[in-house]
Amino acid sequence: MAGVKLTGVAKKFGAVEVIRGVDIEIGEGEFCVFVGPSGCGKSTLLRMIAGLEEITAGSVEIGGRRVNDIDPSERGTAMVFQTYALYPHMTVSQNMGFGLRMNGVPKPEIAKRVAEAARILQIEPLLDRKPKQLSGGQRQRVAIGRAIVRDPQVFLFDEPLSNLDAELRVATRLEIAKLHGQLQGSTMIYVTHDQVEAMTLADRIVVLRDGRVEQMGEPMELYERPANLFVAGFIGSPKMNFIKLRATGDGGQPAAELPDGSRFALSGPEANGAATLGVRADGLKPVDRDGVFTGEITVVEQLGDAVFVYVRTPWGQEIVARFEPGAKVRVGERISFALGGRTHFFDADGRGLTGVTPGNTISEARLSA
Amino acid sequence: MADVALSHSSAITSRQSFLNPRRRRLITSVVLAAICIVWVYPLVWMVSASFKSNSEIFAGGGLIPENPTFENFVRAWHEANIGAYFFNTLFVTVGSVLITTISAALMGYALGRRPFPGRATLFGLMLFTLFIPQGYTIIPVFELLSNLGLGQSLWGLMLATCGHSIVIFTLLFAGYFSQMPKELEEASRMDGVGPVKTFWYVMLPLSKPIIVTVVVMQTLQAWNDFLLPLVITLANPALRTLSVGIYSFRGEHFIDWGGMTAGSTITIVPVIILFLFLQRYFIDGLAGAVKG
Repeated sequence: MAGVKLTGVAKKFGAVEVIRGVDIEIGEGEFCVFVGPSGCGKSTLLRMIAGLEEITAGSVEIGGRRVNDIDPSERGTAMVFQTYALYPHMTVSQNMGFGLRMNGVPKPEIAKRVAEAARILQIEPLLDRKPKQLSGGQRQRVAIGRAIVRDPQVFLFDEPLSNLDAELRVATRLEIAKLHGQLQGSTMIYVTHDQVEAMTLADRIVVLRDGRVEQMGEPMELYERPANLFVAGFIGSPKMNFIKLRATGDGGQPAAELPDGSRFALSGPEANGAATLGVRADGLKPVDRDGVFTGEITVVEQLGDAVFVYVRTPWGQEIVARFEPGAKVRVGERISFALGGRTHFFDADGRGLTGVTPGNTISEARLSA
Repeated sequence: MADVALSHSSAITSRQSFLNPRRRRLITSVVLAAICIVWVYPLVWMVSASFKSNSEIFAGGGLIPENPTFENFVRAWHEANIGAYFFNTLFVTVGSVLITTISAALMGYALGRRPFPGRATLFGLMLFTLFIPQGYTIIPVFELLSNLGLGQSLWGLMLATCGHSIVIFTLLFAGYFSQMPKELEEASRMDGVGPVKTFWYVMLPLSKPIIVTVVVMQTLQAWNDFLLPLVITLANPALRTLSVGIYSFRGEHFIDWGGMTAGSTITIVPVIILFLFLQRYFIDGLAGAVKG
């Protein structure tokens, strides 16, 4: 098995720069997920690794070998396409064995490899069917099977679950996670726009935006320590709440002012630069008094294992907070919140600030004194 | 006012009951059958006449021959050389179908899927040729064949016959191939399969409806072609095809209608058989082509 190393990789379509100098190193056997909004260049990057797109600048190495000018089939990669790309006129086993057959692999060897892949994916009863006789999930498994029989060093998945319905997507996601366990040591690169897929599958996530890497790291690292506003907003569901702050020094003690004028103290070396407060739904705790802000409940979403409460703040922003199941909350109620969990602070450029922690609420009385 | 409305609605109801679905179907069937009779009458007349003697054909009898005879067929096959013409036509047709289908598929694949400089110009030029009537190009085509030394051979006729509709067929293939998802080719490329094998094993089998359409249309074209074989075989009657051969029943003073209708019946049999076998694919192909 082999790792993949991208160094200064760039891609231009005419004058349009789609990938702008990307450096990523993916270790052997790692499950790496490229995630980002549509048009961020994640699929293009994957296709460049596969060899389906030419590389404008930089280098791609697979297993320590530079593969920029090597044919896709010689790179030791296999790709699973979003649309499955099964050959409609061939049976499942012919689909899986096509590449081997065309490259002169002996028939018994093809049969052995197809049978092995079919066993791993539990599609043995489907081997004689044509793709149109299969469900979406089964087709996707055949597409994965076609990749497995090639025994590649690196598996490339291009949004493999996008064409499946919600239920099947969760089931197939689990299958892929299991598959990574079964095919021990195989490196997998997976492209998705769905951050839940990224969080659940990845050993490491690469967040891309506009052809650049925004942040790279383990799922929980990205969740807990997002490098910037974009990553903070992209990773995690529901989306992180962002509240604009105005930094106000209060006699040397850094403090932040919310849009409604209420203040709280800040500590930490970079506290003076805080321009945005980020807090996830579970970081807001309802309190009876001395809350950071008070708002009116507009929507209550009962999810069974949690209750998401949407609150309209005095400055007109909608903010979401997570409550335990069974919480007695009603639309129209006023509720006060304190910052009870992890908080994130970002400077005016959206860069994450480290070591900044919120302190006590500065009451009006103290302010006037 | 209410009465008017009532009588109006009862009129609608009575019209609806008169035109119930069953009756509507019956009327449609009768109308279609009448049109069908008009449509097939010339064909039936021809088949019927081929079993009649020359004197009986215009004697005013019905469509069923009084004294059915195979004499016309025997005369046509042996004396009028229809047998030889049949094999000439078969040779030209099979050859031109093979050449046309393979070349049109290859050209259509390149035009439909491969971006290359001048593609739009090439498309335009090809389209332009569709507007040139066949008669205008026969003499230059004949000259070309003569220069190639094929002016007096069935091979030359076969090649020239390929030219009639190859542009349309190429455009049909190009349209069909251009709609195929690019992932199929990419998957094949990832599998280490070269462009030629991808074309042959992946793309071509998927274009079966178009292949059948082209085979049927080119067969009809080549089998029924008249002007081109007439010009090319003018100096060499042994090379005549069926359509030209049948025309020779028309003498200066006498037309052998019995022989001509028998020859024509022999001519259409293979075409009908072909259509019966391939009609489903043929209609699929045309429907696919129209859907664009």
